[in-house]
Amino acid sequence: MDILVSSLVAGLLIGMVLALVALGLTVIFGVMDIINFAHGEFLMIGMYAGLFAAQSTGMDPLFTLPVAAVVGFLLGIICYFGFIKFVLRGPMVAQLLGTFGLMLFLRNLALLIFGSEDRSLHHGILVGKSFDLGMGVIMPATKLAAAGLSVVAFMAVWLLMNRTKIGKALTATSLNAQGARYMGIPTERMNALAWGIGGGSVTIAGALIVNFWSVNPFMGILFTMIAFAIVALGGFGSVPGAFFAGLVVGIIMEIPGIWDFFTYTFDSDWMADVPMTSLKYMWVYLAYFVIMVVRPRGLFGWRQ
Amino acid sequence: MEAIKNALDFSDFPRLDLIVVGLIAVFLLVFPVFPHSSFAMATMIQFLMFSIYGMGWNTIGGYGGQVDLGKAQYVGIGAFTTAVMLIRWDIPFWFSMPIGIFFAVCWSFIIGYPLFRLKGHYFAIATIATSLVLKDIFEVWDLVGAARGLEISPIKYSPPDFLRLIFIEDIYYYYVILGFFFVGILYVNWFRKSRLGFQLRSIKDNEDMARSLGINVHLAKVKTYAIATAFVSVVGSFHACYIKNIEPADTMSLDISILIALMAMLGGAGSLWGPVIGAGILIPLKSYLKDWLGAQAGLVGIDLIIYAGIIMLVSAVEPRGIWGIVEKVRRRKRS
Repeated sequence: MDILVSSLVAGLLIGMVLALVALGLTVIFGVMDIINFAHGEFLMIGMYAGLFAAQSTGMDPLFTLPVAAVVGFLLGIICYFGFIKFVLRGPMVAQLLGTFGLMLFLRNLALLIFGSEDRSLHHGILVGKSFDLGMGVIMPATKLAAAGLSVVAFMAVWLLMNRTKIGKALTATSLNAQGARYMGIPTERMNALAWGIGGGSVTIAGALIVNFWSVNPFMGILFTMIAFAIVALGGFGSVPGAFFAGLVVGIIMEIPGIWDFFTYTFDSDWMADVPMTSLKYMWVYLAYFVIMVVRPRGLFGWRQ
Repeated sequence: MEAIKNALDFSDFPRLDLIVVGLIAVFLLVFPVFPHSSFAMATMIQFLMFSIYGMGWNTIGGYGGQVDLGKAQYVGIGAFTTAVMLIRWDIPFWFSMPIGIFFAVCWSFIIGYPLFRLKGHYFAIATIATSLVLKDIFEVWDLVGAARGLEISPIKYSPPDFLRLIFIEDIYYYYVILGFFFVGILYVNWFRKSRLGFQLRSIKDNEDMARSLGINVHLAKVKTYAIATAFVSVVGSFHACYIKNIEPADTMSLDISILIALMAMLGGAGSLWGPVIGAGILIPLKSYLKDWLGAQAGLVGIDLIIYAGIIMLVSAVEPRGIWGIVEKVRRRKRS
């Protein structure tokens, strides 16, 4: 029982962080119908930013979050004005391959600058501490803090999107760009802002997970695919959808733990033989495929 | 007979193109006669392999407009079918290759039917997802060697073995893949003028219009997807015999899928010569950049940075690729 509960708790906690990862993707998609393949690379850059800021100041990475957020915001805006603006004119193929090129560019730039080795951080004040919830469920404090701050960041972006004038302008741009332009909304700047918010939120997520996840230049694509799965499940362009789908995908990622629970419960041999941990991410991809085929609109997607 | 005549009929291209194509064909035939380094030879084989991958992608992605980013799964199916059959049951290449095509086409039907309900971005990402699922399954599947993959050791056989396609010298591999290359060109040349080819182009232009004209859109897409799959699977089988050491992590990686799509797009998707042009530019560029900058200057990753820069430039400036530029210049000259 304790394995099941701790798997579910771990899944929910990581799911909250993943929801923040996917938020940027869904905002960008919602505003300008473009899929950003470089999303995981933004996360990787956020992790490096958090790591180096924490190492150089000697503080816990949780206190250097603003550095990562600023880096991500600027990165998003630079990417938009330097590259995406030009790709948007082309057909869909060009957009797909263009952002893929961006991904390759950022990944290899990181490889050139930082080298290919895994880097991780051990001096955070929360590292090694944990809460005992009873029933044998132990929650690492780093993951709890990451999940809590992710929810805070998520709420902040949600409030920005729904309660401010800028957010209304963003929504208007995503609903009808031409109409928004007639109403005097600077859509070009709104697009750039969407990229800034997208980049900023994902780098915050990166700086949050650097406490318990080592970083190397090749890790991006995994998170890109996870973010795609979340966005597909939640509905492309839907912000609340991204949150719930993040929790679901977090639990899907804990399927190996749940599988272990059933293996012990039924004491069955064939279940123990299945190499579940190697198939950890397969379930995420499979979930994406099934969602797209069964319900392409996602759980909370817009009717179009 | 009619089909062969159609395949050999290149008369709708301007004469200048045909002269250039003829010169390139002659060059490809006599290339091994000239003195060359083994590195150049390996690059040429890579070029031919990726041209054929690109031709396969071009049928569905170029003529049909369905961006498929999951071609690596079929490379894997072809390669692992051939390798498993050769190692475990000593079945030669020429028998295992059609079986590999069969498996790949079956798999393409299984995933193609649900996949083609999707469009645009959704389709592209779903193909990536299926490709990664299959890769993960192959990485834990003992029959195909799990994550370590399979190794064909040439010592067991007596090279040159034409039946099993085990050679020591690359020149044999070169001519085998060159044969496939010419067959592929002729096939695509026939395909673009076939009934299915015209149906596909009308689907690309306007799917609803095509449906209203009585074209079975879904079936046409699935059929073309199977054709593209067969192309990729053949080269996958060849890849197993040529590389001799295949792992799911390399053979079925996302990078291969994207590279295939990229070749065709850089050259010009939806044109006969596009994939060949794209492969002819990107493959030598990639391997020589890696050799000069990556290995010799010690700058890891700079080759791929330059490479990514080219991708970004092409997609931002001329999304229709190099062939698009050629056609634009021609149109301007005519008017």
